[in-house]
Amino acid sequence: MGSGALSIKLRCASWQQLATIYKRDLSRGTMFLKAATPPEIGTQVRIDLTLPSASVIVLTGVVQHRVDDPNRGLGVELKLAPIPASSIWLIESALSSEQNRSATPPSGVPQSVPSAKSGPVAAVGDHEDMSVAETDLVRALVAEAESLKKLNPFLVLGVGYEATDVDVRAAFGDLTKRYHPDRFMRYESAELRQVAAEIFILIRDAYRRLGDDEGRTQVLTSLGRTPSPRAVPAPRAAVSTNPRNPSSVVTPNPRNPNSVVTPRNPNSVVTPNPRTTSSVVTPNPRNSSSVVTPSPRNPNSVVNPTPRNPNSVVTPNPRTSSSVVTPNPRASSEQRSSPGGAVNTPPRGVTQSTDPGAVEAMVDAGQLDEALAAYKMLAKRTPSDRTLRAGVELCEGLRALAQRDRLEAAQRFEAALEIDPSNERAARELADMRRQATHERKGLLTRLMGKREP
Amino acid sequence: MSRIIGIDLGTTNSCVAVIDDNGQPRTLAGPDGERTIPSWVSWSADGQISVGTRARRQAVTNAAATIYGAKRLIGRKVNADDISWFTRLAPFRIVAAPNGDAWVRVHGQPISPQEVAAHVLRAVRKVAEEALKARVTRAVVTVPAYFDDAQRQATRDAAQIAGLDVIRILNEPTAAALAYGAHRVKTGRRIIAVFDLGGGTFDISIMAVDGGIFEVLATGGDSALGGEDWDRRIVERIVDDVFDQYRVDLTAIPMALSRLREVCETAKKALSVDRETRISLPFLANDQHGAPINYERVFTRADVEQLTKDLLDRLEAPCRRALEDARLPEIGALEEVLLVGGMSRWPAIPEIVERIFKIKPSKGANPDEVVALGAAAYAGILAGDSDDAQLLDVTPHDIGIKVGDSGFALMVPRNSMLPVRARRLFATTADDQKFVSIELYQGGEKDVAKNRKLGQVVLDDLPRGPAGSARVELIITVDVESILSVTARETKSGRQATVTIRPTGGLSQREIVEIITRRRQEPSLDSPLPSELALGKVRTTTRDHVLISPDDDDKP
Repeated sequence: MGSGALSIKLRCASWQQLATIYKRDLSRGTMFLKAATPPEIGTQVRIDLTLPSASVIVLTGVVQHRVDDPNRGLGVELKLAPIPASSIWLIESALSSEQNRSATPPSGVPQSVPSAKSGPVAAVGDHEDMSVAETDLVRALVAEAESLKKLNPFLVLGVGYEATDVDVRAAFGDLTKRYHPDRFMRYESAELRQVAAEIFILIRDAYRRLGDDEGRTQVLTSLGRTPSPRAVPAPRAAVSTNPRNPSSVVTPNPRNPNSVVTPRNPNSVVTPNPRTTSSVVTPNPRNSSSVVTPSPRNPNSVVNPTPRNPNSVVTPNPRTSSSVVTPNPRASSEQRSSPGGAVNTPPRGVTQSTDPGAVEAMVDAGQLDEALAAYKMLAKRTPSDRTLRAGVELCEGLRALAQRDRLEAAQRFEAALEIDPSNERAARELADMRRQATHERKGLLTRLMGKREP
Repeated sequence: MSRIIGIDLGTTNSCVAVIDDNGQPRTLAGPDGERTIPSWVSWSADGQISVGTRARRQAVTNAAATIYGAKRLIGRKVNADDISWFTRLAPFRIVAAPNGDAWVRVHGQPISPQEVAAHVLRAVRKVAEEALKARVTRAVVTVPAYFDDAQRQATRDAAQIAGLDVIRILNEPTAAALAYGAHRVKTGRRIIAVFDLGGGTFDISIMAVDGGIFEVLATGGDSALGGEDWDRRIVERIVDDVFDQYRVDLTAIPMALSRLREVCETAKKALSVDRETRISLPFLANDQHGAPINYERVFTRADVEQLTKDLLDRLEAPCRRALEDARLPEIGALEEVLLVGGMSRWPAIPEIVERIFKIKPSKGANPDEVVALGAAAYAGILAGDSDDAQLLDVTPHDIGIKVGDSGFALMVPRNSMLPVRARRLFATTADDQKFVSIELYQGGEKDVAKNRKLGQVVLDDLPRGPAGSARVELIITVDVESILSVTARETKSGRQATVTIRPTGGLSQREIVEIITRRRQEPSLDSPLPSELALGKVRTTTRDHVLISPDDDDKP
């Protein structure tokens, strides 16, 4: 038996692909493997299936019979060993949250994908499942701690640079309920509590520094920002480095329980992110646009002038009351300065994009292809400028994210940070992804323990 | 899964609570329906151990072998000021263990206060198991917020001896605030204070409550000030009266002391309600001629207030300091003061609280049970059964290191939210210095000798060079349980030494295991007295280097 064992690594680049595999194969306990020279019947196969979220699910099975399907080609069908409850849950919950996220589900995704809530896995899991899930959670937390270390205190708490005492306290309270080591006492693993403590120390330190006006002024000054807490930030600052409320985009809004399920851009349920939708229709948007020609994609963006931050238009973020009172600085910057207008009025030529600040604004506006091309060009011109090369990686990462390829996106963001550790956007996106990964795993554990979701 | 109980291990009374099926915490009653268990343990001449009310009943007949107030002794050195008066007036003997800890002597055998507390905890556990009809192995145990890490660890050790796994040591004031439902009053941020005056300890905590988050802003207190001090003042008064009149020293007569204590406590309780009370002690002792001494006197509340005026003053300083540490914008920011602890019934207490905090304090329904209820509620949160609150406690004492010969460099200031991490760079002070030895201390005194040594970390093989050329980064982490870990790292080579300083409550793990094994060998609770304990060396754990733990200095 051992001599014929096969080990295969599979990567699901997209959720659609996973959904297809799940419906066609996994849910029936089988798996189709394409193979020109099919392995013998009875061969043991181990498959390491990497999900788009970068979680790895290990499947084992035995070759049952050969298949010569006109649609699928020549291959074998595997009979899979029972898939652990935790793995099934991971797939199902991920799929259902992905489905919730996109208002117009891609055609490939069957509507009948069982939702996590009604899934068969609600029962208490066995001990092995639990310890595997705990190890996964430890890994997710370690990754999250790493990415949080790269963030400034405002980003750690997920509040805007104009945040008030109340904003800071609310954000701290929400994060405390999720990351205080006591919240991990319910699990077996002592390591979990240790890692959570590492994260909580970062959170508490950020809170201590931002807890009052004086502290915030100090931090803002050290970040090279003009502390003007109550006023709308100056347009220049607004364009160059995102003063818009990061909480609305970066961290899942903790006040909104849904955001735990769909942490990235929770509001996209209300307003589908035009970027993502288009990328599903046009699988390779790279070719569809260039720096010179106006972007043909994002038809929705005409309807919604601030596609990246729909909540400022649709639902005011309940947590940051200030962003409701004072106009969203980012939105205002878009209306005021030329790059923002580019959403409606596409850039006229390369010349306009040669200012790095303007390119950054393009990134903010979601014009990733244009921004990417501009960064590439600028980087070629001044190869010594790290920020530009990091910009290339950032754009690639954001594009991967738009295509739901979280694995690729994470790698790109990491690369961006390696080149330029001060790349705030990459750090934020990475921290956001990590936070989501933590939540998926925490949710899984909660279900395995047979408890209701917090 | 077994339920986690919440235990308030008090100086005079203990209480146990659990989350019921409706998710509400409730206290559990013993066989006689009582909801508090006196923290008393008594050894009869033939080795029978009784706990609680039964032990307390023997206070007079078996005074020298009936122990109370073990919480005052736990994790303390015998030469501490407040231990010496306790020694004088306690009907039982308090002795020094080889490491200087305060122990008791019963029928000639030394017993650690941890073991005494373990008997109480075992009784509490039994109450819980009978009420729940299930085995109980896990508990959240409360301690005064002002307890230092030795006292906390000693409490933990006591639970271990009693067969309880302490999943969390919790501070009493925070537990009380949680049980009061301070987070359910209204939305928005409220600043409250908890004034907790129990039988033997006093805590003041000022906290901000916001959306279920209890953030302690400052805490202070006196871990040797409580209701028993009020009793003691009356006792002392009578002892003096009798000496003046009959030239008889009652402190040498355990049975008389025990009766006095009992009567004075009752008198104090009576005076909490009435203006005056009569103390009547017939046949208290014999005078020098062998004639019986019959003591009788009427005490007014004013008399007792006069006798205890300085105690009231001692309450004030910690409150003022906590208010200052909390950095409230103004005293008016304080919305509520909760009174907790049996002694808060004494009329002068709410008065002084109102005078200090400029606000009328509120009393809960039952100040004796509220801490246990809070412990049970938090146990539910830790188990993941409920999610509505999160407590954020602080370090009660400054933590720093010794610099130079006697200086104290502050690393983690008191009232730092836990967990916390502090970093600081230090430079060598001599040419070609080979190693640095960093000693950690707990306490707020500028003179390091007055603080309590926690442990030490040594980093050797430093690169050679003139004084100041080598730099050592010191990183101190204090976790939610107040456990300290320390790393010293030479910045150039990256050489580092790490040590986790397990607080020691005075008993080594070996001693604890010995006590437990001995219990197992003697299955009945009514076992003969434990033999003299062999005191092993207590060492801090080390990874990279051999360290000297503070206990080595004390032991031969």
